[in-house]
Amino acid sequence: MGERAGTASAQPTGATEGTHLSSDLAVSATGLVKRFGDKRAVDGVSIAVPKGLIYGVLGPNGAGKTTTLRMLLGIIEPDGGERRLLGEAAPRDASDRVGYLPEERGLYPNMKCREAIAFMGALRGLPWSTGRKRAGELLEQAGLGHAADDKIRKLSKGMAQLVQLLGSVVHEPELLVLDEPFSGLDPVNQERLEKLIRAQRDRGATILFSTHVMAHAERLCDHLSIIAGGVVKFEGTVNEARALLPLKAHYTPHHHADTAGALLPADAERENGSWRFTVPSEGIEALLVRLIDAGYGISGLSIERPGLHDAFVKIVGAEAMEQVA
Amino acid sequence: MSRFTRGLRQALTIARRDLKAMVMTPTFLLFLLSPLLMIGFGTIGSMSATSALQGGQNRERMIAIVPAEHVAAVRAADAELRRLFVRSPRPPLVIEAPRGDVETQARALFGRDQTDAVAVLYGPLDAPHVLRAPSAYPEAQFLGTVAQQAHRAEKAGVKISTSPPDVEVVTRGEATSSGRGQSAYFAALGIFFLTLMLSGQAVGAMAEERSNKVIEVLAAAVPLESVFFGKLLGTFGSALLFIGFWGTLFAQLPKFLPEGIATELGSLGTAVGPAFAPLFVLYFAMAYLLQSAIYLGLGSQMGSQREIQMLSLPITIFQFAMLGWASFAAGNPGNWLSLGAEIFPFSSPLAMAARAANAPELWPHALALAWQALWVAITVTVAARLFRRGVLKSGSPKRSKRQAERHAIDTAVS
Repeated sequence: MGERAGTASAQPTGATEGTHLSSDLAVSATGLVKRFGDKRAVDGVSIAVPKGLIYGVLGPNGAGKTTTLRMLLGIIEPDGGERRLLGEAAPRDASDRVGYLPEERGLYPNMKCREAIAFMGALRGLPWSTGRKRAGELLEQAGLGHAADDKIRKLSKGMAQLVQLLGSVVHEPELLVLDEPFSGLDPVNQERLEKLIRAQRDRGATILFSTHVMAHAERLCDHLSIIAGGVVKFEGTVNEARALLPLKAHYTPHHHADTAGALLPADAERENGSWRFTVPSEGIEALLVRLIDAGYGISGLSIERPGLHDAFVKIVGAEAMEQVA
Repeated sequence: MSRFTRGLRQALTIARRDLKAMVMTPTFLLFLLSPLLMIGFGTIGSMSATSALQGGQNRERMIAIVPAEHVAAVRAADAELRRLFVRSPRPPLVIEAPRGDVETQARALFGRDQTDAVAVLYGPLDAPHVLRAPSAYPEAQFLGTVAQQAHRAEKAGVKISTSPPDVEVVTRGEATSSGRGQSAYFAALGIFFLTLMLSGQAVGAMAEERSNKVIEVLAAAVPLESVFFGKLLGTFGSALLFIGFWGTLFAQLPKFLPEGIATELGSLGTAVGPAFAPLFVLYFAMAYLLQSAIYLGLGSQMGSQREIQMLSLPITIFQFAMLGWASFAAGNPGNWLSLGAEIFPFSSPLAMAARAANAPELWPHALALAWQALWVAITVTVAARLFRRGVLKSGSPKRSKRQAERHAIDTAVS
């Protein structure tokens, strides 16, 4: 798959136009719309998820991420727009090749872990006996082998969540859809989950997950969409998102630190004995020459690319973030 | 794999889990044995009532105040007439000799503590007088007839025979018309009671999925129609276990019945003959699936247990209405109202089971079963769509399918 240019726009991206053949896409959707009463929860979302990647759908709370995922999976029907799942026009026709972890976790409390996983596999066409066997192996790998025959109601919330996740991968799906998979997990289990997601991608599966926690997206995503207010604001890679913001320099003069600001860009801010400013669009080399010639010298210099969090805030907009807050 | 095959497989997966979840609990044992509690409490209640009744009846006496010369004739007449009341025996007859004012003597007998006089005969046999307790009309008539019989025998100078005639029991080769009518009613009643007892559990079948959020997992993997059909099959499986258990026990019952009752049951034949048993089972299945599908659909829309419980009264009233209609059909075959009961989907299984007892043709049953199966499918589909719209807040899948197909064409072209 070729690298795509990141786009940050208030308009829906033309996700399926030209760049990918439909056979390269695990998921594609154009102009999805969903209304709940008078509110347009999703307002023309377009998305294209290439096969074999980890694809993140990012957005603040209430952005329409879950509704989008539910429409893509065929749980609810869109009021407008079109979608394809694993090449199938009707998402139901691909359901045996899809794994799904919903935002609201749900397991039968009286089922044993092994049975619960085998049941979720059986729903997707995996024979019960194979499901039970794989469930045992998956539980062992996840460090939950001791709980294989425990009832779900005896597990902690985090353990139950892992069991449900194992249930969504037991049939080795081509596409794994995870809605806010990290919520409710402690750091140890978050690490386990990240490993599991990578292992699924390495197996060849496509992973589509939603989150509003940037750190996970930054570490995991090969590609991402940022949704806010029911529309796609950005689609591209993490680096492309970060590239939307200019580089920041952290400069410490060797001499006369107090007066160095006169040569620095207008947004330069003093931080103890150092200065912090945006790297000029033409580059930092000329500026450094001027500083050295003026006798300030360079005691320290670092150039930083802004994180996904900053890019997210810029893309979503401070106003939207305030509304969510 | 076709959509139908996949949907069926998914429904069976859900049914299997549900059935296992229902059966592998102590509650199921209680459910299975609940008729024992009913029978047990019923037996205790009936024994107590019988004991109280018999305690009173044991002290009841009919009394005849007759001179010594009439005693033999009166006893013979009493013995003769008593054979007519084998099923509802009269209190023992006590004979007393007249002393003084006979009427006073007779009235005084109602005040005795040792025995309860229910009727007292006195006076000449050709003009007898009977005093009776308010509830003892039959006993008064009995004593009057005894007096007349004894008087006629004395007048004619004959001895009333007390030796029973030689009676031979003749069984009919086929069921009587009244027997078929009774079978028709019992068939409708049987299906009604079975569905009344068993189908109610479908009301709360979706409650677990909704409260535990499992519905999202199911809805993502399986079409809601398959979810609903699977739930229906699961509850039906538990109902079949119940019926299998108690059916096996009841099948042994005739072996333990007194011969007379077993012979009487033999007259309860049906017009379709041996086909009646499988038809009864099939109609029970249809009645169960139809009613449970309604309850499942209604129950899935309810937001709380309280709302579900509120449903039980209208549900029971609806079931009684269906029984009433089907019972009318059982007693009035061929009537247009009966035909309506046979056609209306939710009374049809009861009415058609009754028809199997009344009429020999089999083809209407094939038609009726197909019609009822169609309505099971319709009810499940409607219930699933209501759930999709009302609870999952989704739109119409039909429209989106068309859109998806159109999109498939567009993509192929691009």
